[in-house]
Amino acid sequence: MLLLAILIPLISAAACYLVKSIRAHYYISLAVSVLHLVFSYSLFTGWYQPGEFMLFSADSLSQLILLVLSNVYFWVVLVSFAYLKRTAASHSVSGRRYYFLLLNFYLFANTAAILSNNFGMYWVASEATTLSVAPLIYYYRNEEALEAMWKYLFLVSVGIAFAFIGILFLMLSSNGTVLEGKQLFFTDFAKNAALLNPIWLKASFIFIFVGMSTKIGIAPMHAADVDATSNSPSPIAALMAGSLRMTALLGVMRIFQIVTPSSVHGFARTILISGGLFSLFVAFVFMFKVKNYKRLLAYSSVEHLGIITLAVGIGGLAFVGAMYHIVYNSLCKVVLFFIAGNVHREFKTREIAGVSSVINLMPWTGWLFLLAFFAISAIPPFGIFFSELMIFEGMLFSGKPWVLVVTMFFMLFIFINMGRALLQMLYRKSEHEVTLKEAERFDITHFASIVLLIAVIVIAVVSPDILREHILNISKDFGIKL
Amino acid sequence: MQNVLSIIFCLSLFYLAVTSRVKAYVTVLQIQGAILTVLLLYPLIEHFSVPALILPATLFIVKVYLIPKYIKKILVDLDIKRIIEPTIQQFSFLLLIIFTMTVVFVATNILSKSTEIETIPFASGFSAVAVGMFVIIFRKKLIIHVAGFLVLENGIFLFGSTIASKLPMMIELGSLLDIFVVVFLMGIALNKISSTLSGFEATALRRLKD
Repeated sequence: MLLLAILIPLISAAACYLVKSIRAHYYISLAVSVLHLVFSYSLFTGWYQPGEFMLFSADSLSQLILLVLSNVYFWVVLVSFAYLKRTAASHSVSGRRYYFLLLNFYLFANTAAILSNNFGMYWVASEATTLSVAPLIYYYRNEEALEAMWKYLFLVSVGIAFAFIGILFLMLSSNGTVLEGKQLFFTDFAKNAALLNPIWLKASFIFIFVGMSTKIGIAPMHAADVDATSNSPSPIAALMAGSLRMTALLGVMRIFQIVTPSSVHGFARTILISGGLFSLFVAFVFMFKVKNYKRLLAYSSVEHLGIITLAVGIGGLAFVGAMYHIVYNSLCKVVLFFIAGNVHREFKTREIAGVSSVINLMPWTGWLFLLAFFAISAIPPFGIFFSELMIFEGMLFSGKPWVLVVTMFFMLFIFINMGRALLQMLYRKSEHEVTLKEAERFDITHFASIVLLIAVIVIAVVSPDILREHILNISKDFGIKL
Repeated sequence: MQNVLSIIFCLSLFYLAVTSRVKAYVTVLQIQGAILTVLLLYPLIEHFSVPALILPATLFIVKVYLIPKYIKKILVDLDIKRIIEPTIQQFSFLLLIIFTMTVVFVATNILSKSTEIETIPFASGFSAVAVGMFVIIFRKKLIIHVAGFLVLENGIFLFGSTIASKLPMMIELGSLLDIFVVVFLMGIALNKISSTLSGFEATALRRLKD
């Protein structure tokens, strides 16, 4: 069954290659996305309990990230057909022709990466995720998209190569232990972490962290990811911000899980905290100067992935908050990029200065943009408020309260600058008043955004037992005692 | 044998430091691919098995034949000038590489006292990783950046071959396929860059900034 979940998207990708109609591609992809969502949900709720199969298995962490992937993928596929009919910029026939094929390949690669129980397999699948998404970044076939694709493909490939060095160092760290000569199974390494050579383990952690940072999009390796997210079509940007970054984060969390019972734990925590704080700093600086609203959202991703990395490094209650934050951030980012896509389509620009009176001209989009901004800015009752509260509480009682002060300082200015830019877009009256050809109609992206925003509230308010149980299990796997 | 081949591999890195011809980079990639293939074949003299031939054969096809041929095709199709256009002097680049290699070899020697590693192949592989990075940093042409990336990958493969624990063949083959597809996509991107942007240099990619 695990293998089937990985292979079905690959088969559907092949089907998209053979069939010519874009509408047929859409229906195939939508059917697969529904199947995948049902599979992920069955896995998450425990209706289906798989054992280990070859290099694949599903623990609580991979079940959570898989559900995040399935959910984001479903909504992205759902809105994609409408998006392709009315794109924001010109595109080529080949861009449309391979769009759904690459989406299916993306699902295949990500599922394989998330369900892999082996570092080697994770690496191969993770590289494949880059290959699937790079051509999608170039969908608009313009200079910016080309540059973004090149930078993403090149820098992430170099980053992944560094992660591979880290994996080889991990193998070296097992020399002279019971793990020597065995396969790189996460579970085996996590069980025997105390036996591993600390020098090689440290080197392994650094290389995997730095390498995967290019894909997670945390500073100082965030540049390619910011360019790619801001220049790709909105559904693809949503896919990258909502799920691809989480798949990459999974790699760092796996190595962190391995070092947790070892003497390298403190060192790894310091690296994660530094990476997280530096990401917040970068987001803080760039929020002052960024003039492009999609780049603004991309830096918001740098901020939130920074918060998650920081919270994982802090541990305790902050770690639990980070797991909730993964879920909420993913949902909010999908909404923000969908809505930004609507704005781009009507105003034909990504410049903040070129957009005005959105709330009057596009009321559905405008109000949803405002609500999504509230959601990502941790305004209650949206879920991020609760996850950040947990993270802050974890920071306060972690023995490093200064981290909380620094984090809140950065976040305050990020909130002010992001708010200023978005409110300008929503309410500012332009000297050259823009008029739209027709009044805005309720469409599929509005429907998706409303459902997702309701989900961000409902999950936080209801706090489902199954989610809490999973997050507590993950915390237990990471040696966290609450 | 492993040490001899690793030293030849190191010499190919020095050649990269002094050559100014784009074609020489492709030749070096072919030589390195051939060395890695022989390194994989060598243990088969004692323990021969037909399935064990799959990996060296695939490596040979990908690294010695397909990728170099593809890069040569790009050079011809896009009429890329034959000079590499460095950003620093060749002599300084050579000094940098010598210094880096010395540090890597000394560090590996120290580490080999606490961990059982083959010093020469390990240090050669890691030197190639560093040289690959320097090629990417200190050369202007994007096609040379691709070559630098491949040198880096070859280095990883070389020092990976010195580690006792082996990855499953499926993963090794998967990684080779990934690298091939990456280079293939980079080639397509270069084609587009040649028709869309103003040149093949990294300086042509300066539209995206804040």
